[in-house]
Amino acid sequence: MDVLQQLVNGLSLGALYALIAVGYTVVYGIVQLINFAHGEIFMIGGFGALAVWLLFPAGNVSIWMLPLMLFGGVVAAVGVALLTERFAYRPLRNAPRLAPLITAIGVSIFLQELIRLFYGDIPGFPDSKRAIPFPQIEYVTGPAFNMGGLTIQRAALFTLVALAICAGLLYVFVNKTRLGRAMQATSQDPDTARLMGINVDKIIMVAFALGAALAAVAGLAHGLRYTNVDFRMGFLAGLKAFTAAVLGGIGNINGAVLGGLVLGVVEGMATFIPGQFGGSAWKDVWAFALLILVLVFRPQGLLGARVVDRA
Amino acid sequence: MITLPTLVTPELQQRHGSRGRIIALFGGVLLIIAPFLPWAYSARALDDMTFLVDPSPLQYLGLVLGAIIVAFLVLQQVLKPAPRRPRTACVPGARAGATGALIYVVLILVSISVELGGAVNVMYGGWVALVATLLAFVGTRLMPTGRPPTLAAATAPAPLEVLAIAGLMAAALFAAAYALDQDDAGIFVSFLAFVGAVVAVMIRSGVMGWLSAVSQRHKKVLILAAFLVAFMFPFTQDGSDANMSIATQVIIFAATAMGLNIVVGLAGLLDLGYIAFLGAGAFVAAILSESAFSTINWHPPFIVVVLISGTVAAALGLIIGSPTLRVSGDYLAIVTLAFGEIFRISMNNLDGEDGPDLTNGSNGIPAIPELNFFGFDFGIRHELIGVPLGRFSNYYFLLLLVIGLIILVFTRLNNSRIGRGWVAIREDERAAEAMGVNVFGLKLFAFAGGAFLAGVAGSIKAHQDVSVTPDQYVFLESAFLLAAIVLGGMGTVLGVLIGATLLKLMPEKLRFVSEYRLLIFGLVLVLMMRFRPEGLVANQRRQLEFHEEDEELADRISDEIAETGTVKGAT
Repeated sequence: MDVLQQLVNGLSLGALYALIAVGYTVVYGIVQLINFAHGEIFMIGGFGALAVWLLFPAGNVSIWMLPLMLFGGVVAAVGVALLTERFAYRPLRNAPRLAPLITAIGVSIFLQELIRLFYGDIPGFPDSKRAIPFPQIEYVTGPAFNMGGLTIQRAALFTLVALAICAGLLYVFVNKTRLGRAMQATSQDPDTARLMGINVDKIIMVAFALGAALAAVAGLAHGLRYTNVDFRMGFLAGLKAFTAAVLGGIGNINGAVLGGLVLGVVEGMATFIPGQFGGSAWKDVWAFALLILVLVFRPQGLLGARVVDRA
Repeated sequence: MITLPTLVTPELQQRHGSRGRIIALFGGVLLIIAPFLPWAYSARALDDMTFLVDPSPLQYLGLVLGAIIVAFLVLQQVLKPAPRRPRTACVPGARAGATGALIYVVLILVSISVELGGAVNVMYGGWVALVATLLAFVGTRLMPTGRPPTLAAATAPAPLEVLAIAGLMAAALFAAAYALDQDDAGIFVSFLAFVGAVVAVMIRSGVMGWLSAVSQRHKKVLILAAFLVAFMFPFTQDGSDANMSIATQVIIFAATAMGLNIVVGLAGLLDLGYIAFLGAGAFVAAILSESAFSTINWHPPFIVVVLISGTVAAALGLIIGSPTLRVSGDYLAIVTLAFGEIFRISMNNLDGEDGPDLTNGSNGIPAIPELNFFGFDFGIRHELIGVPLGRFSNYYFLLLLVIGLIILVFTRLNNSRIGRGWVAIREDERAAEAMGVNVFGLKLFAFAGGAFLAGVAGSIKAHQDVSVTPDQYVFLESAFLLAAIVLGGMGTVLGVLIGATLLKLMPEKLRFVSEYRLLIFGLVLVLMMRFRPEGLVANQRRQLEFHEEDEELADRISDEIAETGTVKGAT
């Protein structure tokens, strides 16, 4: 029973990773850039959602706030992602590989500090230098469901449902729409795609926006699940999500979803490692150890993508 | 490079060139006079600029800039162009001087306004100086530039050249001591602007070219002089530990950055967890030290500890590097980042509760004893030729040796077969492999070697800091190290030294921006990559890598290589 409980916990945690990991994978698939600042986009999604809630009269936790908050988070995350793409990454598109990576680190630190220093300055907003409590919306939070000894938090269920919906929409978008197919074409061969009349710049923006939108969903889910948002939360989550993307095979969207779920389950199961090295204190270490193991034995990831060989 | 829109066209310069000279000359002379007038109403602003005919040090610096402008303008008239004589670029020199002076004066006026509350506190002398620099700025812009300098080809008698190097070093020592002494942020920033202006003048006029040619000829003298100056620094402090503590921090930071420079700058591997290797070295040294909180009851002599620290760090480097270096550079960046996290979490967990007791968890290992070499106790004050030298001075000397060693390793590797292999890998990995370069081996060597040096530096840092805790070794520190390299210039020694010094000194001196430090820092990283990815001091080969389309630059550098046979800026 305990194993089952950890499996459920792991899956819902993994759903969060999966939502963020998609952003790494789509951007990497097209421009071969590890968008190090993607974790911060996730964080901004959470803060954007919180901002919408704060703008309404205090203490409104009705379920109708949820779509509005989601909208706010998505707008904030997509907006910031597009701005960073336009002003930080695009000028460096043909630069040596080191340059965009360093830029990404700079963007990441910059965005964290921007939220830390100035979010609280908006009238009516709480001080953002430490974690801000996140509103507990009715129905999606509250007493956990109990099924024969198995406890499922409502927010965890919300995350899983959100992932299922997002994955479905993503599948339709990528495989059935013109824009999605253009994205696939660009990721396979940007030069040929351009010759075929695809506006590659636009596709890259779509990729950034898509990843940011999903990250914003994750940001909202994170807020509901952990009952707070923190300007630092993007760092570790982003790192984990990247691990998930590599686990599934970076560049492969299905892989990112699978990788996220697997990583979450592995973290959940780490509790059962006997001796002192089990337990929650070491779960992050096991997650990163998994990343290194994957790189040794299956660098193309679980579902396989083309092996990244551009140094 | 940022290119401003050209307001002043060549035609305009042809027509108004002589008028421009008169305006500029007038501005320069006015700038020489202005320091003798009072600039501020209150003595509390900066270094007391309230006197008539008694300039403060900062005002004297303004006078120096004015004199530079006038001197170049006069020189341009006096020096008639001769076919064989090396050319000094007078107008660009004056232009750089005027631009620098403008920034300098504006900064001073802003500082006065900020410190006294409002621009009304600026007295007429300040406005005169502002007008003077504006005139000089506009005037020099109106003058045609003339041909580029060829001063680098000039030769002087050897003793004179050596003297020039010595003078330069002495000026550097004096400037560093003066800057460190300033507690007032306004003075510090203004002084930095002055130094920047002088350096810009030297670069634009060709004097820097001459100096760098001279230092190429007398390399040994230069290195000796540089170390002598660094060695002399504690003697200027009169036994005070306040500045020495900053200086030791700067130098340990610089030493670590130099180690990372081998990995990032030479081999082109982005290591985002470098601080973990420093931490590994520090923890090993702490655990093996005779601290009462050390968890292992074995205390070998320090020399052995240093080697063990380095080896442990290098071993960790091999464990992380061997799987990732086969795949791709991007993976390495993230895996090293993850490794940094693993290190931090592990050090926090090895507290006897969640794991074996090795590090006392988040408390770390305090009370690490001072180093003691053959009875020479680093913790107490010693006297040398009558000058008292405190605790930090002792560590400073030791660290000076370490950074010297790291620089030696760096330059020797850079000029070796290994270094050329690294360049080849950096520029095109597949082509390098096809040419028979052992890509994986060389990468692993850079990675593990860099880790070893960090481990060595860490073992000394442990003793100098007295305590070692996991939260000293977080990702942000790695990012700072990387920023020092990016800011200064990847793959250069001088650049990284400057970058590390600036990054460590700025927060110490500019307390008022400490809240926005990280914000500015992130922004600087982005802007540097956008506008000057090669850093403040550019390694020319690196510069070419970042500006592949710039044909002009490529031609210039290939000409230089043909002339001198070497690539400049590598050391």
